[in-house]
Amino acid sequence: MKLHHSPGVLVVTGLQELNATNAASVRDGVRGAVTSEVTGVDIDLSKTRFVDSSGLGALISIHKLMLARGGHVRVLNPIHAVEQVFEVTRLNRLFEVVKI
Amino acid sequence: MKVILQCPVAVVGVPALSRKRPLVLSPFLGQTALAHTLSGLSGEGAKQICLQAGERTAEVLRAVGAGEVWGLKITGPDERDFAGARRFILDSLPQAPDLALWTSYPVWFDAQMALLERMARQRVGMRELRPGVFVGLRTRLAPDARLTGPLWIGDNVFIGPGSVVGPQAVVEDDSYLDDGSEVVESIVGPGTYAGSFTELRRSFAWGRDLLQLDTGSLTEVQDRFLLSEAAAPKFSLTRLWKQWRHRLPIP
Repeated sequence: MKLHHSPGVLVVTGLQELNATNAASVRDGVRGAVTSEVTGVDIDLSKTRFVDSSGLGALISIHKLMLARGGHVRVLNPIHAVEQVFEVTRLNRLFEVVKI
Repeated sequence: MKVILQCPVAVVGVPALSRKRPLVLSPFLGQTALAHTLSGLSGEGAKQICLQAGERTAEVLRAVGAGEVWGLKITGPDERDFAGARRFILDSLPQAPDLALWTSYPVWFDAQMALLERMARQRVGMRELRPGVFVGLRTRLAPDARLTGPLWIGDNVFIGPGSVVGPQAVVEDDSYLDDGSEVVESIVGPGTYAGSFTELRRSFAWGRDLLQLDTGSLTEVQDRFLLSEAAAPKFSLTRLWKQWRHRLPIP
C-alpha cells in the first residue's frame, strides 16, 4: 500500500487485495496518515482484485473517521468484480464510487 | 417421431452459465433448459431422442436418464437409427422457437421473463398469489415481504421479513433469502443463500457465484454470510426423490 498527500486529499494506491490479511494494517495506516489538513481520502482500487468483508470493514472504519471530521471517502476505479461486492452489500450507496 | 437433439455445452455469449455444469443443464424457470426442451418435444409428439452434447454427452445423459419422466426414449449420440429424423438445436425452446436463449446474458434473462407466466401456469403446484406473482410448493413468505410481479418463486424457498423481491425476478427452488434482502431484475439459482440486506440487481446469483447480467462480470463472493450455497438438510425425502426418480421403474 502506498500513501501520498495531494492538497487536502490523502490518496491510497497499490492495494492488490483488501481482505483479512491486510485490512487492519490498511485501516491503521490510513487512520494514522489522516492529518488535520486532510478533508478527503481517495482509495484507488483499480489494482485490487479481491475485497472481502474484512476489507469492507476497513473502508467503513475509514469512512466513519472522515465523517466525524466532516470529510469524505471516495473509491476510485474498482474493477467489475469488486464493484459487484459493493453493490451486493449496498456499500455503493455509502461510498462515492468514481470511475475515471 | 424421432428427434436428434443437439445441445450446446458452452456458448461464447454466456460462458459463466456453463461454469458449473453443461449449459443446457443451467437453471431455467424451475428446471433446466434441457428439461423444458424435452417437455416441449414430448408435447409435439416426439417418442425417441438422440441426444448429442459433444464431449459432455455422458454428463447430460446422466441428468436426464432414459427419458421416462417425459415419456421419451433417450439414447446417446449415435444417430444410425435416426435417418430422416427432425434435428433440433437447443438454442431456443420448442415452446418458443423464436426466442433465442444463449446469445448474451440479458437475452437469457429476457427469455425467462418472457416465458415466466406461461411456464408458471403449466407447473404443478404453483399458485398465483396475485397477478404476476407465482409461488411454488412448501415456500414460506414473511408477511411483510414485498413481492412485485412478474415474479417466480420456486418450491421450498424462504423469503425473510422485510425482503423486496421483484419485479422481474426468479428465485429458484430450495433458496433462502434472509431478512431485508432485495432481489430486483435478477435470478437466484437453486439452493442459494442470500444473506441479510444483500442486494441483487440485474444479477444472477448461484451459490457463491455472482454474475452481473449487463457487464458479464463474474465474481465468487468469499463471505458466506453474503452469498453461498444454502445448506441442505442431512436427510430429505424430496432430495432422495429427485435423485432417484429417473431410475425407478414407474410406468
